[in-house]
Amino acid sequence: MSAPRTVAHPSPPQSRLVRSRAGESTLSFWRREQGPFAWLATAVSFTAACIALWWFVTRPGGAVSPLFLPPPMDVADAFMRLLARPYLGSTLGQHIASSLSVVIGGWLAAGLAGLPLGIAMGWWRKARWIAFPIFQLLRPIPPLAWIPLAILWLGIGDSARIFVVFIAAIVPWVMNSMQAVYSIDGLLVRAAMTLGANDRQILTRVVCRTALPTLVAGARIALGNAWTTLVAAELLAATSGLGYIALNASRTLETGILLVAMAIIGILGACFAIGMQLLTRLVAPWAST
Amino acid sequence: MTAVPGARRRVGSPVAQPALYGALALAALFAGWWLATAIPGVVSQRVLPSPLDVVARFFFLAVEPFSGTTLEGHAIASLTRWLIGVLVALGLGIPIGVLLAWLPPCRAAITPIFELLRYIPPFAWVPIAVLWFGATTTTQALIVFIAAFPACVINTQLGVSQVEPILLRAAKTLGAGSWTTLRRVVLPVAAPSLFTGVRIAFGNGWMALVGAELVVGKQGLGFLISQGQINDSVATIFVGMIAIGALGAAIDVLLQRAQRVILPWKTASVRPLE
Repeated sequence: MSAPRTVAHPSPPQSRLVRSRAGESTLSFWRREQGPFAWLATAVSFTAACIALWWFVTRPGGAVSPLFLPPPMDVADAFMRLLARPYLGSTLGQHIASSLSVVIGGWLAAGLAGLPLGIAMGWWRKARWIAFPIFQLLRPIPPLAWIPLAILWLGIGDSARIFVVFIAAIVPWVMNSMQAVYSIDGLLVRAAMTLGANDRQILTRVVCRTALPTLVAGARIALGNAWTTLVAAELLAATSGLGYIALNASRTLETGILLVAMAIIGILGACFAIGMQLLTRLVAPWAST
Repeated sequence: MTAVPGARRRVGSPVAQPALYGALALAALFAGWWLATAIPGVVSQRVLPSPLDVVARFFFLAVEPFSGTTLEGHAIASLTRWLIGVLVALGLGIPIGVLLAWLPPCRAAITPIFELLRYIPPFAWVPIAVLWFGATTTTQALIVFIAAFPACVINTQLGVSQVEPILLRAAKTLGAGSWTTLRRVVLPVAAPSLFTGVRIAFGNGWMALVGAELVVGKQGLGFLISQGQINDSVATIFVGMIAIGALGAAIDVLLQRAQRVILPWKTASVRPLE
């Protein structure tokens, strides 16, 4: 007779989800967070696969003609060419400097005008009642829509670019500064008053400090707006700069140079974003993000 | 309130005062504008038309075709392209955002390329879009898509990743599979973030469309204002800008109303402006 088999519990179904040694996650592979090494490996291999696909699709005899999408080597060649010889009258460095000077200049000018205005609007009721409706009217108009007006008023050239960048940047500066000051916890202000601070001290030592993270966020948005608008302005109304390079490259069908210009625009935009994040951490290290 | 020595009498109720100041400020602005154009010699008619000119131009454009069609025709053309672009961006962006937040290997793979492409402003894609698709609706819809897509993906990813893990574990305890958890726990909880992303995407798409229409196209509000610039008619530009701004504001208001209907439990987190 075979030994009686006592089956206390039915054996659990074999499942990938519930294979656990000590310390191993019970989630499936696809849902599990990856360590830094695996993350890097995945990222690099996927990017390399995309570049390989790009090369494959644009090889001679491939599916896509070089006019639409140049092969990776052509783009690298175009970049070398832009570095070596002047393009449309100025070197690459001069074009980049032209774009950067307009965007940083316009952004700083908008900050100089917009930051005090925004703080005043957040702090004093009357200022807010007067100025806020005007900004509410101006805000829905996209900055790009000011470009034809700028061309008509100022002609094609530097002033039109600066004007449009200024308008694009000032609205975020003002609105975010106002919101930053306006949404300060009233408790802090009252605590400062209890400790004997007068109006000016509250404004400088409590309000500005507390609002600093939001103010820097406003500055970051303004810079992003300014950069986007600058690219548009240069595509329409400029005689130098990265957008101007892109425009002419598209007209002369030099797609490689066009892609290089787009890549540089993107890299500069990323640098601005990272720069502003570092600035936030420098100026307001207590901010959570 | 009877007279107390030294007390000032309040003018109007507290609610009316900010509105009063605001109305006075706007009225002063318009009066200044009208005066600047009414006094001959201060500002030339070519540079700044009087407010009445702008209103007259608005009514003119509403009935007479200008550069192809009336104001209404241009607006409808713009709205159509915008709608196509943002709907495609929603349809692709929300699933991809959920994917990026839900599956870490996908996030590791896609995020570098996504971040690289995100920082290229949508308008910088115009030359290459024109090269690929010519001066057609597809070009402009593509620009709207490029403008709206990152906002959708990022906000969706943020919303899904901020769902409390305890809710996910509770669902798993009750026996829900991955798909059911996504559908019945994650999406409703992440819905407010998703909707914020939708609002931002819609706004970004509208702004990008205006820019794209400045460069390409034979119809649309952006085309209208660039034609106004070519024809030296500042009044047309003003009418176009006001139309663009008004439509953009209307879209945002509609979305806010929709949010209050679809997601009634999401309350305002900022102090309402008084």
